[in-house]
Amino acid sequence: MSLRLRGENAVVQIRWIPKYTAVERLLHWVHAATFIPLVLTGFAIFASWLAPIAQGPAGLHIRLIHRVAAVFFGGVPILYTILQPHRLALHVREFLTFSKYDVLWLKAALPYYVFGRHEDMPPQPRFNTGERLNALVLVMGTLTFGITGLAMWFLRDVMSPGLFQALVIIHDLMFVATTAMFMIHFYLAVVHPLMWQSLVSMRYGVVSESYARKHHAMWYYGEKRAKEMWEKQHGGQ
Amino acid sequence: MPLTRRDFIKITGTGLGATLASGALLSPAQAEGDGPPPDDFAILYDSSKCIGCRACQMACKRWNELPSEPDSALGIYDTPQGLSDSTWTLIKLNKRSEDDWHFFNYQCMHCTDAACVTVCPSSALFKDERGFVALDHDKCIGCGYCTRFCPYGVPHLRTENLLTGSAKAFKCTFCEDRVWGGLGGPFCAETCPTGALVWGQRGDLLDTAKGRVSGLQQQGMTSARLYGETEAGGLHRLSIMFDEPGQYNLPSDPQSPGTARAWQKIIQPLGEVVFGATIVAALGAFLVARRNVRMEGVE
Repeated sequence: MSLRLRGENAVVQIRWIPKYTAVERLLHWVHAATFIPLVLTGFAIFASWLAPIAQGPAGLHIRLIHRVAAVFFGGVPILYTILQPHRLALHVREFLTFSKYDVLWLKAALPYYVFGRHEDMPPQPRFNTGERLNALVLVMGTLTFGITGLAMWFLRDVMSPGLFQALVIIHDLMFVATTAMFMIHFYLAVVHPLMWQSLVSMRYGVVSESYARKHHAMWYYGEKRAKEMWEKQHGGQ
Repeated sequence: MPLTRRDFIKITGTGLGATLASGALLSPAQAEGDGPPPDDFAILYDSSKCIGCRACQMACKRWNELPSEPDSALGIYDTPQGLSDSTWTLIKLNKRSEDDWHFFNYQCMHCTDAACVTVCPSSALFKDERGFVALDHDKCIGCGYCTRFCPYGVPHLRTENLLTGSAKAFKCTFCEDRVWGGLGGPFCAETCPTGALVWGQRGDLLDTAKGRVSGLQQQGMTSARLYGETEAGGLHRLSIMFDEPGQYNLPSDPQSPGTARAWQKIIQPLGEVVFGATIVAALGAFLVARRNVRMEGVE
């Protein structure tokens, strides 16, 4: 694939590497498109100072939108499990794999994302530490919302008051955690000046070879080689 | 042993957190230590005067235009079996033996520390300026939180559609429309033929109730007691009863659940602080990043 830069005659050859399947991209956007109304409608009920807009018919509609969005939000992982179970298993395995390079990534993340200092960023697999943490929070959140939400929806009158109260608290704590994580995810994926390729990858399913080499060396070079290169550069840090 | 910076932060953070949490989890009544003002409106129910005629029950249904409830005919004093979305006042027979029985009136206790008001996300449930717990049905969104946080299980939902969640909560409103419309007080108390249910200023009713309990005790009913003076911050439905509250299926130490206060006073502010801090941090990071990152040199 080639790219002609506007206003120049030079042709820059860019090799694109597939990262996401079409199904993954579609489901990602459906998940995002349902999460946002879930957050907004949930926040209207969560924040007591928003009571004036969560009253009467408006409040009833807010609850209805919350439920409809929740069905689609919960349906996405189910659909993904049915359509691409092997990809899901691959992702889950990756999400649960952590190493000392993740500690190094966490230390280097702030200088990189704020000040643009990339030299201390350690090699990463297909998903970097932040992406994996985001995914884990989202997976836990989806499961928690599913269990607590369905129970509050259909079993409210048959469960004990204490259990219902606990479910409300758990639902809300997870709402805080996932929404905060979503804000960070949105900032890094959409707003951050360095990260435009992550948005491209979720639009077209590919990342450039140079981006993969620089940001996901373990994926690009293979884990062993990427680690050797890192250790050589950083003196066995 | 010298105190490290990490230890200092841990100790300070733990202490501050524990202090805030314990303060937030105290009920308003526990925190303030005062009961409701004596000129608040209240209802006094005297079980020793009740003849179980159920005029209060019928008056409530009539004034509030509540429908009857088809039920199995289990017995005169066993149907309906409990409060519901269309039964806001209920007389039940408390039969301890063949010759030891009396009636008890169940309705909203109009707590000072009202859990239903605390958890209501639409402010449909609110404390009237005269102390009782009122309900604005037009504002209710049918979330049902009040039904599961009330220590007495008083509010009930009328669900129109379980799937869509279309519902409304119902409970005794102290006949707020009568009170503020100048028509009198709660219709149950206005109707009671024996004076078992009366309404008025809470301070006066408390004096009356204490005198009555004292009189009953002098007559040999030593287990007679007043319920509601301090419970849940002070109830606006006071009760004279003959036994432990547990014998009437009432909690002996009712309180707005800690979860209700934890939700409103810890988790909600925590969420708002987390969201605000995240947005501010992202904005700050963006401004710094934009200044520091040379886009043309970075892939």
